[in-house]
Amino acid sequence: MISAVHFKDFKALRSTAVRLEPFNLLIGPSGSGKTSLIEALLRLRYLAGQAPAPGPASALAFLNGPQIEFHFHPPFENVRVTLGCQADELSCHRLRVDHPPGLAGARQWAELRTQLHGIRAYLLDHQAMGAPVLRSAGTELATNASNLAAVLAQRAQQAPVAFAHLVADFCRIMPEFSGLDFRGVGEGHVELRAALRDSPEHLSCENLSQGTLYLLAILTLAHDPQPPTLLCLEEADRGVHPRLLREVRDALYRLSYPVATETTRPVVQVIATTHSPYLLDLFRDHPSEIVLAHKQGNAATFERLSERPDILELMRETNLGDLWYSGILGGIPGD
Amino acid sequence: MRAPEAMKLALLSESPADEAAISILVGYVLGAPFTRVQPTLRARGWPSVEQVLPAILRHLHFNTEADGLIVVVDSDDSVVHTPQHEAPAYHHPGCRICRLRTVFRRTLKNLPLNAAHPAPATSAHPRIRRERVLRAVGLAVPAMEAWYLCGRDTSITEAAWTQGQAAGRVPYTRSELKWRVYGTERPTLPHEIKRAVQEVTRHQGDLLRLEHDFPQGFGSLARDLRSWRAESGH
Ligand SMILES: [Zn+2]
Repeated sequence: MISAVHFKDFKALRSTAVRLEPFNLLIGPSGSGKTSLIEALLRLRYLAGQAPAPGPASALAFLNGPQIEFHFHPPFENVRVTLGCQADELSCHRLRVDHPPGLAGARQWAELRTQLHGIRAYLLDHQAMGAPVLRSAGTELATNASNLAAVLAQRAQQAPVAFAHLVADFCRIMPEFSGLDFRGVGEGHVELRAALRDSPEHLSCENLSQGTLYLLAILTLAHDPQPPTLLCLEEADRGVHPRLLREVRDALYRLSYPVATETTRPVVQVIATTHSPYLLDLFRDHPSEIVLAHKQGNAATFERLSERPDILELMRETNLGDLWYSGILGGIPGD
Repeated sequence: MRAPEAMKLALLSESPADEAAISILVGYVLGAPFTRVQPTLRARGWPSVEQVLPAILRHLHFNTEADGLIVVVDSDDSVVHTPQHEAPAYHHPGCRICRLRTVFRRTLKNLPLNAAHPAPATSAHPRIRRERVLRAVGLAVPAMEAWYLCGRDTSITEAAWTQGQAAGRVPYTRSELKWRVYGTERPTLPHEIKRAVQEVTRHQGDLLRLEHDFPQGFGSLARDLRSWRAESGH
């Protein structure tokens, strides 16, 4: 959906742009703009959902304030959305839309607005996921996945085929488990449980390991019959054993590269961040999916790994993760 | 007469799908069932295979009953092994087969023969059957998917690849091979394993085609494995 984002004076992103692919893995130190990119996308979603500001376009001149400009893939390639504000204002809270004139242009913008409404960002929290949750809170996975049990309970009822695929995937990746089920607790609350394969016992959500919960949440997103249009996942490797990172990658790939025979879902654009060299290793064949976030002093910039021919050459003899750790790639603390 | 005990083999490659395929092919070459030792070994792609190999060899030597270790890696863009590399004391620094063989030689040379066996000698385990862990090294040119397509796509051979390399224009890329095998550049792991097993199973009972089309990468592996039968008395 989004083809590129250009930043001017937005936090540490003083003057940089990032081109976006269907799948994007961002690596870089804290403060290098990874989270700022996600924040910009969420702000776009919010402002695009608001009623357009009244008055002539000239009233929305952004003067010298921060600006974030969004470009889009076809069929929205002629629409441009800019977030901005005046220099004395604190945040980019104004939105300017440039679309082709006439009814057709207005229609394009209306359709794009609907898609922008589907942007979601997640930073999973295993502690929040462990607690029983109101059964009625399961329409959509919360930002921290705290309502995982309710979402899955609802999916088991409303989309049993998608739920069965999720459970099959989960049990394949974690063969110690043979299934998922739900138990009513308290007033209208539900608890998620995993059945152990070689025992009649069930483990309740609060007794599942961090990694198991994160993987479950990622699979919940990957098998969502009605997924977001753009999905951001911070710290995609979190809590997951290095050997299972391939499964994390594959689950996220399912969203951005749906296989025709497996699903008829539309493409979900994915933006994931990581600090794991092991996860990075898995993108050796797809350097165009890696975005390096560099921090120099107080300024941050983005760069595509595929735009670094020197690195592509070095990758022949060194793991991508090791190249990153060594500092050759950049995207490390204290640049 | 008692049937000889199955060989105990360890296998090191770059992914679970590679492992599944190699394990099947090894069975075809040996023509006998074998037991996998330490089935959880894994490396993170080429450079780490070479880096971790000495530690794995020491581990297998001292702590396991492994008779041999099979290592198969992708050649990617590296130099492909040739018969000239087989000359005594020759070592091509750009060839992964030469490099892995060197690691085997250097590491094993420094290990004591007849390592103390962890299991006591019993009638079930009469003795350690090997002095040293045996070596089998293979090279998939340029990637395992080329072996999977062998016999299906006659344009995919070691010769085609090396000629392309020499001419500065490779005949196909890793991505193209993936497309042809999996129908996507980004297969899921179960799909990758399923396709790998399907394709190598075609070679059951007849490895001639694979050895003919991949005489160095697969041929070296097969020759190493066959030499074990003599050494181990199987
Ligand atoms: Zn060689």
